[in-house]
Amino acid sequence: MSKSGHSRFSLTRIAALTGNTFTELVRLKVFYFLLIFALLLIGSSIFMAQLSFQQEFQVLKDVSLGAMSIFTSLLAIVATAQLIPHDVEERTIYTILAKPVPRYEYLAGKLGGVLLLLALSVVAMTALFLIALFVRQEMLVGVTLRQTSGLRPEQVQEAVRTLKASAFNVNLFPGIVVIYLKAALLASLTLFVSTFATSNIFTICVMVFIYFIGHLQAMAREYWLQQNSAGWIAKTFLALVALVFPDLQLFNLVDDIVAGTAIPGPLFAQTAVLGCVYISVYFFFAWVVFHGKEL
Amino acid sequence: MIRGALVALLLLAFGAVRVPIESSLAARHRSAYFHETRLGLDLREQIGQLGFLAALSGFRSLVADVIFIQAHVAWERTEWGRVLLLFREATTLQPRSILFWDMAAWHMAWNASVAARHDPSQPNEALRRKAEQEYFALGRDFLVRGIKNNPDRPQLYEALARLEKDKLGDHAAAARLYARAATLPGAPEYAERFAAYELSYAPGHERSAYAALLQLYRRGPRERLPTLLKRLEILEEQLDIPFDQRIPDGAR
Amino acid sequence: MIKPAVAVRGLTKVFPIPFRRTRVVAVRGLNLEVAPGQVYGLLGPNGSGKSTTLKIILGLVSPSSGSTEIFGRDSREVGSREAVGFLPENPYFYKYLTGAETLRFYGKLCGLSGVRLKSRTGELLELVGLQNARDRRLGGYSKGMLQRIGLAQALIQEPKLVVLDEPTAGVDPAGSRDIRDLILDLKRRGITVLLSSHLLAQVQEICDRVGILANGVLVREGRVEDLLAIENQTELILQNATPEVLNDIAALLKKSSARLIEQRQPQTTLERLFLEATKAPAER
Repeated sequence: MSKSGHSRFSLTRIAALTGNTFTELVRLKVFYFLLIFALLLIGSSIFMAQLSFQQEFQVLKDVSLGAMSIFTSLLAIVATAQLIPHDVEERTIYTILAKPVPRYEYLAGKLGGVLLLLALSVVAMTALFLIALFVRQEMLVGVTLRQTSGLRPEQVQEAVRTLKASAFNVNLFPGIVVIYLKAALLASLTLFVSTFATSNIFTICVMVFIYFIGHLQAMAREYWLQQNSAGWIAKTFLALVALVFPDLQLFNLVDDIVAGTAIPGPLFAQTAVLGCVYISVYFFFAWVVFHGKEL
Repeated sequence: MIRGALVALLLLAFGAVRVPIESSLAARHRSAYFHETRLGLDLREQIGQLGFLAALSGFRSLVADVIFIQAHVAWERTEWGRVLLLFREATTLQPRSILFWDMAAWHMAWNASVAARHDPSQPNEALRRKAEQEYFALGRDFLVRGIKNNPDRPQLYEALARLEKDKLGDHAAAARLYARAATLPGAPEYAERFAAYELSYAPGHERSAYAALLQLYRRGPRERLPTLLKRLEILEEQLDIPFDQRIPDGAR
Repeated sequence: MIKPAVAVRGLTKVFPIPFRRTRVVAVRGLNLEVAPGQVYGLLGPNGSGKSTTLKIILGLVSPSSGSTEIFGRDSREVGSREAVGFLPENPYFYKYLTGAETLRFYGKLCGLSGVRLKSRTGELLELVGLQNARDRRLGGYSKGMLQRIGLAQALIQEPKLVVLDEPTAGVDPAGSRDIRDLILDLKRRGITVLLSSHLLAQVQEICDRVGILANGVLVREGRVEDLLAIENQTELILQNATPEVLNDIAALLKKSSARLIEQRQPQTTLERLFLEATKAPAER
């Protein structure tokens, strides 16, 4: 054993904790339930799109990305909420923290495991989504070729090109990255809530509440910042909502991207940076509470 | 207890730092046409609690799609009132979908209006005409609001131009809209030509229409389509252009 | 002077009860020292403050006042736990890990890696007798096996101090004897052991020193022999003593000021009987 001082930060330890958390989460039944549900939804979007009139691709994308968004958010909350309570209940936390593991490394390992799980889920869902989109596109290209047979070749090509352009849009990728960031933000916030929560059910309830209020936070903020006629009670209430809850609406870009809105690079970068700041700050809060927690 | 107070304070401090940043970021998002949907209480009344929850939690576009399909079904049953309501909901939920606005306007101005004009249950001709005009106005209203939400895209300007010329007979307005569409990225090349054509139908605009058509003509053979040549010829006649300045017969 | 393996100075721990104006004093003004190489037993009934004291020593709970040190380093420093192994009461580990994976995980937390981690894992599985169960998931382990993997986990980085909270609670006598042998083995290798227990017979057998806690206060402390010796009594155990010899002793006693308090046949302990009877035929 090294006689030299104990290292305050070790990526090896965090990696060990991350790997272990990931293994723990992958074995959760709720993970499979949610993942299979999301994959089924994305897979079936191929057929759902057929029901719609004139907007095959939009329905396909809306179903798939909606499923991706809700699944990653739910998974982030449900998976993170039970990590610390589970370790405390089973007393495994004692064996871990009785090793030379700083508490922030323990938290970082837990969050890291969730983020890894979310990343792999998003990659899996994106892959399936792109396959579904491609399959649907090829089906429609076949139909178009039959309908346009006899026309001039450049006209046929033009029709196929228009079709392909409406199927795939590069802007979808930043949209998906933002879906991931929103889920990561929720995971970090859930970790924070779970450091002082009394049970994981409590954490999940609080987080579902935050989730819905977080999507309305922007309204409260704008009313607070603009309206001067409101009474002080109403103003205080609006201010509290704006200050305490995160603005989740800022991370819902994919709906408008599917409808054809392009996201400029700097705007995407600013949104992504905001997401990372949220993740770091909530992680810091989690540490502030957990650092002196009596176990 | 002390730690709890500290964390609450930190949370508020973080809020105070990020609120102005988020407010300006949200404004930048809006100027890039994100978050046009106002998820307010009036919307909740329209689409119901469940739809509202779904809209809040990442399925906003999907709820809009479902409502759009319902509107399509209502059209097949010619329930015009329902078509109108459902399209209002769909466009509120997803104001960035061009198709929603376009279809809504088309159903109002082209389908519902014709149905109202030939409504067998209404014997009064004047009332039938009035109903037809009301549906034209509803269609126009959809497109005007759609343009307000999508000023960056040419499609709805074109749709409104069609409505102005075909249903309301306002060729000058149609010309302005085509011309506006032509300036936007992704506009079809015919938009500029159509603007000139419409101007040529608008009484009192013959001079400027002639100038616009001539300018297009001078761009080369690609622009010299039969309609363009025909409209030029008519305007040359109307404006009594000297023969030596008229376009040569060989071009026709 | 050698630094004590564990030093507890003026330790008091008060748990406030939320929303009530009362408080629970778990440990009050505790002082004790464990010398390197000793086996120290912290005894006391349930709720006497043993577990709280151990948790404070390990930095899991912070003291209300006073301090604890491990080899001279304050327990609040993460680095103080470099040389410590801990086995909590009734430990549960991650059920989905196998025995070997569990040791690898804890090894990595202690900064071990590569060949060293691999050989250490093998060594420890052998030491605690789990080499046959190394690739089985902990979900299928018995209580005794969990206790043994827990002990192996505590020893992964070759700590100089091992802290065991109720190491034999809920383990059958054979398992409990294995653990006792392991503790004695640690002692032979110069490792300091601090354990808490309420099973006094076992503590008596293995501990050099004990401290008895009651309601958070240390009521007795010292070497086991010293605490248990009744100073004005002497025990004679004779083998093959004839009645004549006994009579002679009795006569001798009559002449002296000593008094015979009790004469009886020594009995084996129930534990020894149990172990004898349940031993596999081959071992007999």
